[in-house]
Amino acid sequence: MIVDVNFVGLIIASIMASAVPLILASCGELITERSGVLNLGVEGMMIIGAISGFALMTVTGSLIIAVFGAMLAGVLISTIFAFLTQTLITNHVATGLALTIFGIGISAMIGKNFVGIPGKEFPVLFEGLKDTIPLLSPILFGHSIVFYFAFALPFITSYFLKKTKIGLIVRAVGDSPESASNQGINVRFVRYACILYGGAMCGLAGAYLSMIYTPQWIENMTGGRGWIALALVVFSTWNPIKILIGAMIFGGLTIIQFHMQAIGVRIPVQFLTALPYIVTIIVLVVISRDSRKIRLSTPSSLGKSFHKDN
Amino acid sequence: MNTNLKISNVTKIYPGCVANDDVSLEFNSGKIYALLGENGAGKSTLVKILSGVVIPDEGKIYLNKNILELNSPSDAKKNDIGMVFQHFNLFETLSVFENLIIDSDEQRENLKEKIDTIMKKYNFSVDLDVPVLNLSAGQKQKVEIIRCLIRSPKVLIMDEPTSVLTEQETSELFLSLKKFSEEGILIIYITHKLKEVMQLCDEVAVMRRGKLVSVSQINNENIESLANKMVGQDLKTIKKKKENTSSEQLIKITNLNFTSEDPFETNLVDINFSLNRGECLGIAGISGNGQSELFQVLSGEIISNKNSIEFNKNFIGNLNPQERREYLMAFSPEDRLEQAAIPQMAIFENVALNNFKSSNFFNNGLINESKIKEHSKKIISEFNVNTNNIDLKSQFLSGGNLQKLIIGRELITSPDLLICFNPTWGLDVGAINYIHETLIKINEQNKSIILISTDTDELLKLSDKISVIHRGKLSKIMNAEDVTSEKLGILMGGGN
Repeated sequence: MIVDVNFVGLIIASIMASAVPLILASCGELITERSGVLNLGVEGMMIIGAISGFALMTVTGSLIIAVFGAMLAGVLISTIFAFLTQTLITNHVATGLALTIFGIGISAMIGKNFVGIPGKEFPVLFEGLKDTIPLLSPILFGHSIVFYFAFALPFITSYFLKKTKIGLIVRAVGDSPESASNQGINVRFVRYACILYGGAMCGLAGAYLSMIYTPQWIENMTGGRGWIALALVVFSTWNPIKILIGAMIFGGLTIIQFHMQAIGVRIPVQFLTALPYIVTIIVLVVISRDSRKIRLSTPSSLGKSFHKDN
Repeated sequence: MNTNLKISNVTKIYPGCVANDDVSLEFNSGKIYALLGENGAGKSTLVKILSGVVIPDEGKIYLNKNILELNSPSDAKKNDIGMVFQHFNLFETLSVFENLIIDSDEQRENLKEKIDTIMKKYNFSVDLDVPVLNLSAGQKQKVEIIRCLIRSPKVLIMDEPTSVLTEQETSELFLSLKKFSEEGILIIYITHKLKEVMQLCDEVAVMRRGKLVSVSQINNENIESLANKMVGQDLKTIKKKKENTSSEQLIKITNLNFTSEDPFETNLVDINFSLNRGECLGIAGISGNGQSELFQVLSGEIISNKNSIEFNKNFIGNLNPQERREYLMAFSPEDRLEQAAIPQMAIFENVALNNFKSSNFFNNGLINESKIKEHSKKIISEFNVNTNNIDLKSQFLSGGNLQKLIIGRELITSPDLLICFNPTWGLDVGAINYIHETLIKINEQNKSIILISTDTDELLKLSDKISVIHRGKLSKIMNAEDVTSEKLGILMGGGN
């Protein structure tokens, strides 16, 4: 059997494409969690991003407005979360769950009018280079700008946290909000900013799904990717590079199990569908076993409300 | 240049408590000032006001005759007031250097140079690249001090700095503080330890219940006079009557061993001792030499060989703490809020926790709240716990009151043996005195005590027999009269 190298390249590219929303949402949530805030509303923010992006694209016809509109929608819904948890000091877990339920509900409501409408084609970059190098060309060229941004994001996030002063402040707030406050850092402001940033990235992840990956609106189209993104953050032990690895494994197994089902491998379908979830978590647990590193990268104040008393 | 810091008529009222009541004080550079008071006297509130963490209801602060607006910690920093808190304000998972650069406006290289200069000058050695959680308490404190020194402060405030330090680290700290003072930094030293005030400071201000009681020169004071001012009454000096104790053996430990899988724990090697009724056995040692492991083995948190512990002619080495309590043992662990009590639970609930079986607190699995509350009230009044609200969460009790509650909870069942571990750690003089009196009283009632403590003065005061634990091994048991603190010091260091 002769394997077409370009076919292999295409499979890898499709794996990468399916990893994009996970990387975007996880990297956003990672910043939120590094500041000590646990936002379980990722799924809700993603789906709001998905419907906002698709609706704006259909209504305005402008892709730029649609993408930025989806990010803004993510910011707006995360503002609710930020206001509740940071200003009114509500419980992070309960508020985040409520946000997801709210997001799924409201997106279904808005989305009623958009079911069945075909999406628009999203422009891709470097299309002319697609046939230049065997194997690598389909991987490297001919993708949307969001795709390239997503694969740069883990490295940008890592650099931001390790090398910049603002990144240091975010980590400090997540480590000990009390100490940070006593050092004159405005904990509430930092946490607001991190939550809003997380919202923007989830909104973008949603827009990618409804505008680029499968350009149409289907109710509940995020399909639990928000929860996977959350799991990736935790099991990667808050390390953006490991998020990239986890997202690739998850995307890869999702695609491969589709092909296995298509070929007719005699393994129960349920097991194949569950495979990406199980393997991703096992791999991440195994590569993140160093307890010292876990202690160093886990935000100690994660999920705890900070109330500055006077 | 001289620095003059003036606190003028400062008042701060919290709901139900006046933390600072019209306090006025004046400090001048070149001297080390002590701010002395028991826990809850208002010292910490006052220094929090000076560092901008707490805003006073009334009163003003002047630095060199200029009025200071201290609305946030950064205001204090801007005005050259440096502060080292009792609980470190460090980010454990960040490296030392990251901790230092976070609130500095300087460039990396400049800051590094500055830190190097400071470390050389004061002979500090801290590795800048390791995460803070790997440092010892003394090193963490040095990081805090360096953080203040980077800003070349005019005023340096130290809040109970020695509570987490070893003696060696304490004397190093005192040397540094004296050096800072000579260089013109005004030092305010907050403490409730009288010895330290006498050793280090030039002037002393005493606070009690939010009020300033006295300001005086150290030369005119001594430990007793300061203690009396601090507590507000003459302290009785407690002395244990040495009388012939009974010769009836209560507990006998034979060839007790414990090997831990955790590399940070100490293994216990061949522990042997016995104790008669009415006696107090003191176990001395530098912390981390196996005391907490020994406490856990004796209390049943760690289960050992059945025959290794004989108590009242029963072999109980394999029983858990609750079962041992039924044989009339009682325990007061070292960490009051982590091990002895549950901070988020009410006083009466904590009282119920050590008494699951041998009481009428529970009927058919239901909690008999009125019985427990009645019992709790009895403990509170008999053991002088300063609250009348048994629904209060135990985390809101002061250390002294919580310790009294814990000891009371254990003793009210009149056990034959009380095992306690650092019972007076971090408490003020009044509470320490009370705990000591209580421990002496139970010895007089022909009950026994095993006192594991890192405070040698306490051990010499209370024990009939003393042994020293070093690297998991117990020295031979000595009669307390034959022991001096020098001798204990040698044994604690591993000498003979």
